[in-house]
Amino acid sequence: MNLKELYQEIILEHGKNPRNLRKTENFNKDAKGNNPLCGDNVHVYLKLNNQRKVEDISFEGSGCAISMASASIMTDLIKGKSDNEAKEIIDDFLGMIKENPELKSTILEEDDKTKLMCLSGVKQYPMRVKCATLSWHTLISAMEDDGKQVSTED
Amino acid sequence: MNIDNIKKEFPIFDEKIQNNDLVYLDSANSSQKPKVVIDRINEFYTKEFSNVGRSIHYLAVAATNLYENTRSSVQKYINAKDKNEIVFTKGATEALNLVANTLGQKYLNEGDEILLTELEHHSNYVPWHYLRKSKNIKINFAEINEDGEIPIENIEKKITPKTKVIAINHLSNVTGAILPIKEITEIAHAKDIIVVVDGCQGAPHLKLDVQDLDCDFYAISCHKMYGPTGLGILYGKKKWLEELPPYQGGGGMIKEVKKDRITYGDLPNKYEAGTMATAQVIAFDKSIKFLESIGIENIIKHEKELIEYGQEILKKNNSVKLIGNPKNKGGVISFTIEGVHPHDIATILDEDGVAIRAGHHCCQILHDKLEIPASARASVGVYNTKSDFDQLNESINKCKKIFDLK
Repeated sequence: MNLKELYQEIILEHGKNPRNLRKTENFNKDAKGNNPLCGDNVHVYLKLNNQRKVEDISFEGSGCAISMASASIMTDLIKGKSDNEAKEIIDDFLGMIKENPELKSTILEEDDKTKLMCLSGVKQYPMRVKCATLSWHTLISAMEDDGKQVSTED
Repeated sequence: MNIDNIKKEFPIFDEKIQNNDLVYLDSANSSQKPKVVIDRINEFYTKEFSNVGRSIHYLAVAATNLYENTRSSVQKYINAKDKNEIVFTKGATEALNLVANTLGQKYLNEGDEILLTELEHHSNYVPWHYLRKSKNIKINFAEINEDGEIPIENIEKKITPKTKVIAINHLSNVTGAILPIKEITEIAHAKDIIVVVDGCQGAPHLKLDVQDLDCDFYAISCHKMYGPTGLGILYGKKKWLEELPPYQGGGGMIKEVKKDRITYGDLPNKYEAGTMATAQVIAFDKSIKFLESIGIENIIKHEKELIEYGQEILKKNNSVKLIGNPKNKGGVISFTIEGVHPHDIATILDEDGVAIRAGHHCCQILHDKLEIPASARASVGVYNTKSDFDQLNESINKCKKIFDLK
């Protein structure tokens, strides 16, 4: 295990100064997620326009450096994408965290991929994987608009 | 047994944990096990195994005697009046569920009130919450003061003519506050209120005398007392255990079963349905002997010194903020570090072999009150030393460095 891989500079920076930590005005999709084991919670807000493009995305909540950084990077990358592109990015990220060594998506720029790969350090810390994936599962729920609260323990 | 080199009685400390010596500061969660307890489980399964209380063959009789022998040891250890006041359960959680459920069935009615405190563990809240749902019972919470204690007047303030039960922990698993159970019981009994004590943290760290405390029920978690998992104990005053209905139905708890009627067994069988955690019960006798061989007074003194030392060095570490400052405290030190989430603290400490707990420690009510989502907690057992806290402090400094804190 390697702490340096887990707490990379980008993670610490995003954890300290999370982007899009606010509530989108006029959001039309949202979902809440929580991790009952540690009390982390996140609320993701989306504004999807008529062309099904993510006009704005934001989140509120509190959590560890990993979960805050993950939500921060996620919202940064999803903003401006179409809903289909967003879904592809989400699948790609969750696939990478779960088993794939690399990201496969061609939508993301190399820079963005590098940022996302910074979160791959959690793969060595099974107890921390949920910290990295909570906001992403919550985003899926918001996009599907199923009104379900996401829990890491379901 | 000398407490200064007690560590060598625990085989786990011979292991390297990710190439580190283990600094185990998570005993409030579960304690490590001495070799005598581990060996006893092995020996029982290897040479003496049988189910208890049913068959009449040699092994069954011998196992039953061993099983009942632990009951007697527990009775003595907590100074219960009667051996039949000791009921084995699968854990303290089941013990508390048993009390809430059976009191709910027979004793509590719509509109009655139960008084808890803001310090309660979820296992001493959720079982009562079921009664709120099923019987329309009201739950009140006695508030903590700024030191994370429950002063007796905060209990008195919340007692109403409808209060039927006070369910309260003996020692807080977050602030470490020791609650004045005896005084609370005196006040409660003067008003015919039943007192249920969650003794999960009290039993491993305090001198127990249930007759002196005079509480009606006392729940114990054996795995926090250097004993096996899967085992708890409910102490209940005989009059209550006799009067209340059974909790679970099954083999071993009946007297007579007919197609049209069933009569239940006497104490303690009435509350021990099905095959019990036999090996664990038998091995728990060794846990009690182990505690007795050190002496509870020595344990209390040792742990007090550790907690005082730990608090002292953590207080000197700026950016560490201790949670609660109870005058009468034991077992645990909970803290936060400004700018570092407890989970990040725990992961970084773990890299050095320092095992602590991070989260809300099953006390969400308390964390909400303190307006923090989570905290980090270092808790002690007989095997800890001051050097464990030195290592904790050193690893906290590493944590601060990673997060660029001064």
